[in-house]
Amino acid sequence: MDRRRRARGAAVALALGLITTACGAGTAPSGSAPDPSGGTGPEQGGTLSIAFNSDIQHLDPALAYDSVSQPAVHLIFDSLLNYDTGTKLVPALADGMPTVSADGKAYTFKLHAGVQFVKADGSVLREMTADDVAYSINRVLDPNLKPSPSPVESAFFGSIVGATDVIAGTTETASGIKVIDALTVEFDLVNADRTFLNVMATTFASIVPKEFAADDTAAFDAAPVGTGPFLLKNYTKGQSAQFVRNPHYWQVGQPYLDAIDFRLSVDGDAALLQVEAGQLDVLGDPIPSGSFTQVTTDPRYKDQIYHHTLVEVWFLWMDTQQPGNGPLTNVKVRQAIAHAIDKDHIVQIIHGTGTKAGCIFPPDLAGYDPACDPYDYDPAKAKQMLAEAGYPNGFATTLYADTTDPDPVVAEAIQQDLAQVGITADLQKQEFSTFLDTLFTPHTGPLGYIGWYQDYPDTSDFIDPILTCATTVKGGANASQYCNPAVDTAAAAAKGMTDDAARIAAYQEIQRKIMADAPWVPLYFLEQFNITSKRVGGFAIHPVWIIDVRGLWIKAGP
Amino acid sequence: MIELVAPLPFHDEDVAPAARSRVWRHLRRNPAFWLGASGVTLIVGLAILAPIIAPYDPVFQFRGDGLTPGGDPLGPTSRFLLGTDKLGRDELSRLLFGARTSLLVGIVGTLSATVIGVAVGGVAGFVGDVRRRVRLPGGRAAVVALPVESLLMRLTDAVLSFPILLLAIALVAVVGSSLGLVVVIVAGFLWTSIARIVYSRVVVLRQLDFVAAARALGASPRRVLGRHVLPHLASIVVVYATLGIASAILFEATLSFLGVGVPPPTPSWGSMIFDHITYYNTDTRVVALPGLAIMLTILAFNLLGDALADALDPHHWK
Repeated sequence: MDRRRRARGAAVALALGLITTACGAGTAPSGSAPDPSGGTGPEQGGTLSIAFNSDIQHLDPALAYDSVSQPAVHLIFDSLLNYDTGTKLVPALADGMPTVSADGKAYTFKLHAGVQFVKADGSVLREMTADDVAYSINRVLDPNLKPSPSPVESAFFGSIVGATDVIAGTTETASGIKVIDALTVEFDLVNADRTFLNVMATTFASIVPKEFAADDTAAFDAAPVGTGPFLLKNYTKGQSAQFVRNPHYWQVGQPYLDAIDFRLSVDGDAALLQVEAGQLDVLGDPIPSGSFTQVTTDPRYKDQIYHHTLVEVWFLWMDTQQPGNGPLTNVKVRQAIAHAIDKDHIVQIIHGTGTKAGCIFPPDLAGYDPACDPYDYDPAKAKQMLAEAGYPNGFATTLYADTTDPDPVVAEAIQQDLAQVGITADLQKQEFSTFLDTLFTPHTGPLGYIGWYQDYPDTSDFIDPILTCATTVKGGANASQYCNPAVDTAAAAAKGMTDDAARIAAYQEIQRKIMADAPWVPLYFLEQFNITSKRVGGFAIHPVWIIDVRGLWIKAGP
Repeated sequence: MIELVAPLPFHDEDVAPAARSRVWRHLRRNPAFWLGASGVTLIVGLAILAPIIAPYDPVFQFRGDGLTPGGDPLGPTSRFLLGTDKLGRDELSRLLFGARTSLLVGIVGTLSATVIGVAVGGVAGFVGDVRRRVRLPGGRAAVVALPVESLLMRLTDAVLSFPILLLAIALVAVVGSSLGLVVVIVAGFLWTSIARIVYSRVVVLRQLDFVAAARALGASPRRVLGRHVLPHLASIVVVYATLGIASAILFEATLSFLGVGVPPPTPSWGSMIFDHITYYNTDTRVVALPGLAIMLTILAFNLLGDALADALDPHHWK
């Protein structure tokens, strides 16, 4: 996760407005969770409530990039593609999967006919066409988008021919986005890029109507109009948002629910009590750490708790280009630190909501290598390596972490591990937005503790945005300032590979190379735990959407 | 925000050094004094003796046996008398060492605040707004206005009107948290009320007959301030400093609770609550114990301060 961040537990953020986020990962629905439907299929009707610790930041799909806004956007809008219950891409607004040219550079989408844009009052605006698709993607590239350009413009859509010109402001429409006829649109890419289809399934690629989205973006952000299964009925900042069924939704039999209530700025502990009392259907954030053991071991809630290991790795970054030729520039020092961290203890203090990480790629991501674990916990060896590197008495440094529970506690465990081998780390806990500044400003934090959560389920997302030379700049998420040209070359080659087995092998080789340089100490892969009320049907932790609110239903019960 | 109690009533027949025995006689008969004084003595004693009486290093995380297998704090056992916290550290040792942090911030912060407050309030009240006649070259004279009093007291008002918590959070974001910064913030927050109280008393004192007499006898301003004005401030300063320590301790706890106080792993009662807030429902102990420590310490200092205020108030003398 770079700009996005999962809200975990009861963030004591008070009025500071954490931008918490997420999106998840994993390839299959929650393995150990009980069958959510209880044997019966989806049922129609009812109102579902879901509570989040933070507020909706944006409802404009070009801007929404956090764990509350994206689920809301995903209710109001559709993209051309979507995911099934796992990471398999399926057509949404596209009528079937696109045809791809032989060189892998041109994608032609046929659109579903008869899809309507529906206004918030339930009246039909008009039918969606290929022009809307072209407009929507050009809009995400718009450098003059108010109040700010999309956070992912070049990262996600930069491979479209002409996209860089739009981002630079020299033209308004990318030459690679071509409207063939009213229901056909073609995208031309600069290189063959396997991630493009995943990008077209993100909420950023939602299809929006020009007459609403073009002029007054602030009004569109507040009262969005799309083709999705729900309509925004009302939104009170910091309190609640109500979504009601779209009566003209193009997909027959969808959605199941009549309405969805988002309850916002609800403390995790308070939300948990409401779920236990049956007054709330879904706790949108993970179960608060203080109540975790009690809730997860209570047999009454056995069928209401769901968990799955996400495609999300938490790690300790080390500034490999520390100014003044600092100790962390020495690979031996970084390897020593990797041997010094007791990951089992960290997994214990987060109540086992994670799996010990040996390397970078999480389980469920193509390229995961269970055998990859080059640095075992060995403080004696760490001390010896520090001595060999010329630091027999350790050194003093600073460790950064954010203040969201349980991150400061994990950071304190890391602090003691470092102290055991003689490294004195001053621990600075920062409120999340300040912490992001530390992360995005090169050489601000010599050491730091953070997680990376996938943008979409593709291995390149664990290398390109965080561990390449191009990201060692201000605003880049490469806090380690890791730059290895050999890795860059290999990553660029792997991204376009069409043979899955070869691609996985290539990424595993890249992972080994990076681990040898030790820019990170991977700590654990986060396991998401959610609790729902008894009446929620269809719940499973989705590998991409984490909680796919669209697909839920209310069980008619006694 | 934490407020000091209302100013003491002012009396012309102020506490002269000769009245000390009367003060003591009054204090002796006040149970609140004994309660407060013994509480303060106990806490100071525990803080000083913490390295000797604490069973463990307060920052040491007991790996494996300091937590339940599920990763929760341990309840009280014969090994950990008050249990452990969520990192497997001994709760009793952290409470004892937390007293050191609180008292250090409380006493150093309040002392610095008192020095600044007395200096600003004293100078403003004693010097007042001055006009000086200066001789310019060429034999002509001009009047220069030096509004010392207005400048200092408006500065005090300006600082007093600052949202100190927001300022503290911003400061920590810029320079990073440290114990020294917490002391500076506490002192910067507390000195204004002391300056105001001292100022209002000095303004009255400087017009009293004995001050006028000393002036008429040709005493220098420094001598008048040192021998005649400051001694009459001693009682009020002692009372407000005692109460100020309580405010400072509470303020440190507030800062630590917001995560901008004393940096980890140094134990602080405020951060002990902050770190365990999600346990309030399942293991109340880890939140209640440091909360109780804060409450009792503040109660002790407030009882002592109130008893001193009563004793130094001539209305109570019989």
